Amino acid sequence: MSDELKHVTHYLVLFIGLLVFVFLFSVYSHNKNAKALIGFSFSVFYILWGIIHHALDGRLSKLIILEYVLVGLFVFCLFFVALGL
Amino acid sequence: MSRGVFSKKLKKKVLKNWRKDPKAIDKFKFVHHFLPHPEKRERTKFLSSRAFIVYVCLILLLSGIFRTVPKYFPGILGYASNVDIRGLFASTNSKRLEASLPELRLSDKLSAAAKAKAEHMFAKNYWAHVSPDGEEPWEFILVEGYDYVFAGENLAKNFQTSGGVVNAWEESPTHKANLLSRNYDEVGFAVVNGVLDGYETTLVVQMFGKPREVSGIATKVEEERLLESLSNEANQHFPVQVKQEYTYRSVADVSVVVKATSVVFASFIVALLMLDMWYSKRKSIFKLTGKTMAHILLLLFAIVSIWFVFKPGIVL
Repeated sequence: MSDELKHVTHYLVLFIGLLVFVFLFSVYSHNKNAKALIGFSFSVFYILWGIIHHALDGRLSKLIILEYVLVGLFVFCLFFVALGL
Repeated sequence: MSRGVFSKKLKKKVLKNWRKDPKAIDKFKFVHHFLPHPEKRERTKFLSSRAFIVYVCLILLLSGIFRTVPKYFPGILGYASNVDIRGLFASTNSKRLEASLPELRLSDKLSAAAKAKAEHMFAKNYWAHVSPDGEEPWEFILVEGYDYVFAGENLAKNFQTSGGVVNAWEESPTHKANLLSRNYDEVGFAVVNGVLDGYETTLVVQMFGKPREVSGIATKVEEERLLESLSNEANQHFPVQVKQEYTYRSVADVSVVVKATSVVFASFIVALLMLDMWYSKRKSIFKLTGKTMAHILLLLFAIVSIWFVFKPGIVL
């Protein structure tokens, strides 16, 4: 598989995954606990995607893992604020 | 010349020629808070790991403020609501008709029980089917002298419209079971405004029942009269005693404030990431970092979810 095709596939997985989470948010839009769980899974999915993507690219480092963890945590915190009230 | 201090003329010159002389811009150290450094090959300072830790702390601080302020200044934040009993009753029976089920009759006793339950939740500051003292919904029904064979309760809060409440009940399997149950003949509603956990909100209580002996509303005319009286009662927004007289009028809709804060924060990061991506490409800065495009995609999905999908209404 060429590098370009590999990247397109990875991004397609990310796009579909995120789309599924938005759909789940809309399905459970009136259930606070379910939304919190979906928000958490949303962030974990992204962190895992980032780690796997860079591992397959052979460019995984501790700093990159830290970056994905922090971005995922940031997004979860945004959900937390939006849901917490 | 002291560090970072330029004459106006020099500043203009640097800004005018920064494309030809990229190093000139380095003199403006602050610019690297927004643009990546070509030599250090790292993200802008506002996108560094340290910055993200600060953002997370800021968000948690904001969350703390949103939770604490209403406790000390109750009613400043609230939820806008336009829920009415007439709309709830019409939507409930409309859902039943769609499912080929008989319409429910409006019961004055069940409505009184629902109102008592809503006021009890405000007075004791809880949001549950069973109160902290262990009082169950059925007790409110029995107190009103409603002898039932079957009974049920649906709760909702923070909704903006009556249709939204009934749709949310329909989307939840357990609430739908009540809404479309053949066991019930009658229904009662209460829409009560008050302050719960410091937030001004509207509680909706729906109580279902099948009386042991058929009673209550006999004709459509009487049902219409009861509906009118219940709607008028709810429209008065009568106060619910919560330790002191309820005189609050919320200054801002909490759901809009919270959503706007989250979205502005996320948009700021998206803008920084886009700037980072554009500048890095333009200056051919190769950085060993995560994928900027993926971060942007994630944040855009988060913004869409928070702004368009998240709704303040909750059912129980």
